[in-house]
Amino acid sequence: MKDQPVLQLENISKHFGMTIALADMSITLHPGEVHAIVGENGAGKSTMIKVMTGIYQPSAGTILIGGKPQVISGPQAARDAGIAAIYQEPMVFPDLDVTENIFISDTSAGLLMRPAAQRRRAIELIERIGINLDPDRIASGLTLAEQQVVEIARALSQDVRILIMDEPTASLSAHEAAQLRKIAKTLAAQGVAVVYISHRLEEIFEIADRVTVIRDGAHISTKPIASVTADSMISEMVGREVGNYFAKAPGTVTDEVILQVQNLSLAGVFKDITFDLHKGEILCMAGLVGARRTDVALALFGVTPTATGEVTYKGKPARFRSPREAIDAGVAYVSEDRRKLGLAMPMSIRSNISLVTLDAFLSRFGLLNREKETAVAHSYRERLNIRTQDVDSEVGMLSGGNQQKVMLAKWLNMEPDLLIFDEPTRGIDIGAKAEVHDLIREFAAAGGAVLVISSDLPEVLALGDRILVMREGQQMGILDTSEATQERVMILATGQTALREAV
Amino acid sequence: MKTVFARLQSWEGFLLCALILIILVNSSLSPQFMTVSNQVNLFQLSIEKIIVALAMTFIIINAEIDLSVGSMMGLSACAFGWMFQQGMPSGAAILICLIIGAMGGALNGWFIAKVGLPSLVVTLATLIGYRGLARVLVEDRGINDFPEWFDALGQKGLLGPIPFANIAFVVLFIILYIVLQRTGFGRKTYVIGTNREMADFAGIDTARHKLILFTGAGLIAAFAGLLYAARVGAVRGDVALGFELDIITIVLLGGVSIFGGTGSLVGTLLAVMIVLNLRNGMALLNITGHIQTGVIGLLLIGSVVAPRLNLGKLLRRQTGPNMTKGKT
Repeated sequence: MKDQPVLQLENISKHFGMTIALADMSITLHPGEVHAIVGENGAGKSTMIKVMTGIYQPSAGTILIGGKPQVISGPQAARDAGIAAIYQEPMVFPDLDVTENIFISDTSAGLLMRPAAQRRRAIELIERIGINLDPDRIASGLTLAEQQVVEIARALSQDVRILIMDEPTASLSAHEAAQLRKIAKTLAAQGVAVVYISHRLEEIFEIADRVTVIRDGAHISTKPIASVTADSMISEMVGREVGNYFAKAPGTVTDEVILQVQNLSLAGVFKDITFDLHKGEILCMAGLVGARRTDVALALFGVTPTATGEVTYKGKPARFRSPREAIDAGVAYVSEDRRKLGLAMPMSIRSNISLVTLDAFLSRFGLLNREKETAVAHSYRERLNIRTQDVDSEVGMLSGGNQQKVMLAKWLNMEPDLLIFDEPTRGIDIGAKAEVHDLIREFAAAGGAVLVISSDLPEVLALGDRILVMREGQQMGILDTSEATQERVMILATGQTALREAV
Repeated sequence: MKTVFARLQSWEGFLLCALILIILVNSSLSPQFMTVSNQVNLFQLSIEKIIVALAMTFIIINAEIDLSVGSMMGLSACAFGWMFQQGMPSGAAILICLIIGAMGGALNGWFIAKVGLPSLVVTLATLIGYRGLARVLVEDRGINDFPEWFDALGQKGLLGPIPFANIAFVVLFIILYIVLQRTGFGRKTYVIGTNREMADFAGIDTARHKLILFTGAGLIAAFAGLLYAARVGAVRGDVALGFELDIITIVLLGGVSIFGGTGSLVGTLLAVMIVLNLRNGMALLNITGHIQTGVIGLLLIGSVVAPRLNLGKLLRRQTGPNMTKGKT
């Protein structure tokens, strides 16, 4: 570790408008080390990777490569500097074979490709990784883990000196994950600096030499692995003061059960989810990325009817086979993805709000009653404080917070009994966030049942009457709000089984 | 005033200005141009395509395409001719043709909506299939000698000089305009075209909607095929060959996005009138048919490129603050 650092970030900041994604971030990578980076969702890990790989340009700060200041102007510049990244979802071309995939962007041989030479080099690279993989196999037949090996080989073929692995094992089986960790060690032993990002703390203890904790876009600590414990890491990850913005309001839970879920499972996705949801209650589902919380919500909403298990809704068995059935029964699902599943962006606020309940706006001869639509849109504009004068303006023109409110209005207008709200405040400013929280509480106080999925721990603690923690498709436990702390939720969410006994 | 400016900045407004310009130029070229008979005549020569363009407007707003309409027009016309030749009463033959159209459209819709195949592929296949059927029924020898009332329907004026087909077009336009702009079905047509997955999540039965749309398109194409047979007074296996491309051209020129979600029947109507009057004007100038087609092609390219250039923004920048008020 006394060698010349291969990559240094010095006081890197990155702003997106008013949002600060990275603040004064510094990190040093040495050749031959496995350097783990941990942090909550949204701590700034992805932004940091994007700065390292030239996708984002830092707003301030210096990047040193091999001790010399350098600008990484784009992905190609990053490759030239020997920096490569592999992700949870590998990028391979399904119709090409392993060799062709490895050398997909290789231009060293000029215009003509030399398949035989490439194949020989592919075999060398795969051997260097220490894996058995036939270079002639077609990529579409490879497992996810094998596709990642292809990506790693591709990086190696370009003489990589810094390999960033972003959640590489999140979608892999235990055996495959172990194999991938071995690869990371092997490459480090060959002198590559490996940046390893993972939510699985046990992995980090297994392979990392040093670990850096980041939080809210800032560097918190970098320590040799021997001097940290899971406990100290978690408390550094969540260390911020809780409840600055959000005060916990008294709950309005009643005894009446609205939704009862027993052993809800979807093969290969999630397993044995069991909980009750009461009238007037807000149940939060917490967990890290890849915990499969949204998949559970989609199963309840009838999007994946192949899920198994027992669901009782308002005292009757309810296995909805389509969103329409769920909606007719009074279940609303507000998606986390406004653009893809939430709103018709080029259409007006008015026609978005009436969308779910279009039939209620029909007058005689099946004509749409536009006056009623406008009146309803205006009433929601006032009630939810949507900042616009004109309900005929395009939804796409509104800010994220106001779009979120339009989406909520669209679902509130069906007067649901059960509201499933997926990431209610993702990507919206703090003021709108507080307003959305108030609306959720109002809805519960008026006798609705709410299931909130959120990756924002302070939000989960502030909103939830109870907190269901998931990890990789497993239900890790349900915490009552009185006993929940950020640490406890994180311990469950990261699967620290040894620690769980102590909780 | 605000709304007038806002409207003029839309694509429809642009088309309207272009149309007025063309009409002014044409009128100065020939005093015969603005007569009722010339205008009726203009419409009548393309009336079948224009009618099918209304259905195609719905399909493209819905982010789909139907390439089989030309073949369906041909199949309907040929089936009518064949049944008539076999001695079937023409009323029954007409009814059967309309049923064939609806079923052919429903077959397209079933593959697209329920099976989930791309409409480009499905309707390309039925373009070939329906044309094949038409040719099998009639081959290339042609059938004529239809009943007199049938020919008269296509060739003589029904309301003064205005023939049945033109009246049918006006009625159909009004009905479909109301359906698209004022009903839940029309709203869903736009929503599904904008984002089908979102529409599914909002509980809209998008598969059923598409099935209805394609069935309707087949029905209208079959109806248009019959009008063609009546106007020409004869059918052959190659009736309406290649019409689908003219129809799609008109709809796109009318401002309907090929990616779905935007456009209107008014735009389609304006595009129809521009194409017809432009061709007429060029004919008055003795420009040959091939060059006319080339000009229409250029116009289409221009219509696809223009929105990307953000013409509205350029206009506003150049005309100063009082234009800016037009847009919210």
